[in-house]
Amino acid sequence: MQAQVSAISKEQEQVIEEFSQFSDWTDKYEYLIDLGKALPPLPEKYKTDLFAIKGCQSKVWLQAEVKEGRLYLNADSDAFITKGIIALLIRVLSGQKVEDIANADLFFIDEIGLKAHLSPTRSNGLKSMVQQIKSYARHIPDHPTTIQQTGTDQKRELMIQKVKEVFDPEIPVDIWELGLIYSLDIDEQGKVNITMTLTSPACPVAGSLPIEVQEKLLSLDFVTDVELKLVWEPAWTKSKMSDEAKMALDMF
Amino acid sequence: MSLMSFGTEIKPFDVNEIRKEFPILNRTVNNHPLVYLDNAASSQKPEFVLNKIDFYYRHLNANVHRGVHQLSQEATDAFEQARQQIAKFIGAKSDAEVIFTRGTTESINLVAYTFGMSQLKEGDEIILSALEHHSNIVPWQMICALKGAHIKVIPVFDDGSLDINWLAKAINDKTKLVAVAHVSNVLGTINPVQQIIQIAHQHGVPVLLDGAQATPHMVIDVSALDVDFYVFSSHKMYGPTGIGILYGKSSWLNILPPWQGGGEMIDQVKWSGTSYNKIPFKYEAGTPDIAGAIGLASACEYISSFDRGAVIQYEQLLLNTCTQAMGTLPGVIPVGQSPEKASVYSFNIRGLHPYDVGSILDQQGIAVRTGHHCTQPLMDRFQIPGTVRASFAMYNTVEEIEQLVKATHKAIKILS
Repeated sequence: MQAQVSAISKEQEQVIEEFSQFSDWTDKYEYLIDLGKALPPLPEKYKTDLFAIKGCQSKVWLQAEVKEGRLYLNADSDAFITKGIIALLIRVLSGQKVEDIANADLFFIDEIGLKAHLSPTRSNGLKSMVQQIKSYARHIPDHPTTIQQTGTDQKRELMIQKVKEVFDPEIPVDIWELGLIYSLDIDEQGKVNITMTLTSPACPVAGSLPIEVQEKLLSLDFVTDVELKLVWEPAWTKSKMSDEAKMALDMF
Repeated sequence: MSLMSFGTEIKPFDVNEIRKEFPILNRTVNNHPLVYLDNAASSQKPEFVLNKIDFYYRHLNANVHRGVHQLSQEATDAFEQARQQIAKFIGAKSDAEVIFTRGTTESINLVAYTFGMSQLKEGDEIILSALEHHSNIVPWQMICALKGAHIKVIPVFDDGSLDINWLAKAINDKTKLVAVAHVSNVLGTINPVQQIIQIAHQHGVPVLLDGAQATPHMVIDVSALDVDFYVFSSHKMYGPTGIGILYGKSSWLNILPPWQGGGEMIDQVKWSGTSYNKIPFKYEAGTPDIAGAIGLASACEYISSFDRGAVIQYEQLLLNTCTQAMGTLPGVIPVGQSPEKASVYSFNIRGLHPYDVGSILDQQGIAVRTGHHCTQPLMDRFQIPGTVRASFAMYNTVEEIEQLVKATHKAIKILS
């Protein structure tokens, strides 16, 4: 573990070293822009909302996969400077072990004087991008097999994992454990049929929660479409919660 | 120093003298003297305003409309005097028509909710324009969703001006309100509000004007306009942040329901029911931003201390200088070329993202805004991800515009 953490640190030190040679900001930005231009292009199929990092100004798309415990990143942006920083992030993080990425301290951005690009005021999605990379590192399951070979059971397991990332904001238990999902199936074309309810029709997230579930499921590469049905019958009751959920809420 | 006013003396326009009154203009950014061209987002504050706020906290601070003690009365007097000054500044007939809010956004939400809840029904229509800021879109979407009403949009021409003929045709019996910007925050377009109001009133439809970008640059007379609601923010017109105004005709404010409940807005509270205070207090629940109100009033006073015509002329000079000089740079595409414009210059550079351009300008100490400027539907209309926007205040100079042009030239060189 220690050795791998220092692999990320070592790469960061090298980036800092490289940038320390620029005394003039113009040279630094020109270098950054060149790095961005040299970044391998992201296949067009990933330049969709699904892979977009929510930010205000420049668009950022980020695609990741995990192989043998290591996270591999591909990304692109419509702005040159953002793309340059992405190139640096990929250089430092891509191919590293997932646990090291999840715990990485990315000090180089500050050190090379690009901190402003990470501040929320710039709203350029870079801060969210780092968060997203770390989240990918924590959540993307290792694919020992290719997508097509993923069995239905395994797909279902992955879908449940995704659904478990969604929380009712008023209850600190994920919606799967709460028992809000009534059915969850996937057909051979990758179309998911999901039936769910909410704790109450007056639930303040009635509008956003189903969309979040849909988005989470769509982020799985074997999912092509999600048909979500929101139902009120049968109504949700506390008895639908899993034992873990009841435990978490101290209901025993 | 006191809350006493400047007096009636009108100062001649001298930009170098004006600059001395804005302490922040002395600072540096990225080792360059600050060139602040983001005034449409928020303007800087003169000593005059800063001192009034400081004076309030040092000498007058107390809650208003409550205590019998001397300090509370002095604070109340200062607060109500501020309301009168602002009423005078915008030409309101009565200071009861001037409601203190947190700003333009809150003012619009107040009208959207109270007007919407009491006047809108299923199938009704609200007319907005294609160049609105999100703050004059989203509150209407929210209330329309609640009441089953619809939004119609006045289209914008390629030059950034509105298609007023469309409005004349689209307005009908279902139209309940027209809400448009007085000045576009992105394109700088000064909309023909008099004409809009005239068309709407011919159909008995009230009009709300979003004056956030107009009050810093134009002389506003709500009575002459005969506008029903006029809203604006203090911080864009040399006043403090966190306070703004809803002007509403008393004939409307008296019949619309209250909005937020709480202290100050009540007449009598009983468990069996509550009766409400008269305007403006009906819409001012809770302790108001007293220092903010005084700050805004002093900003009005500050602006009024200049020959307004000279200021407007000077800002137009800045705009024209910028438009001309930027036009000589390769690949510069101006966004918004309406014949009637306030001092806002939005542009893009062919093949470059506004974010990149803005970042390189920032490195050179130049503060501009980049992005969609909270007008995503307008950006979609022009099929651009955003713009770089330089917006001028009366303290900006022709030299600063030359620096902007030079810095933009450098950005083009670095990025291309």
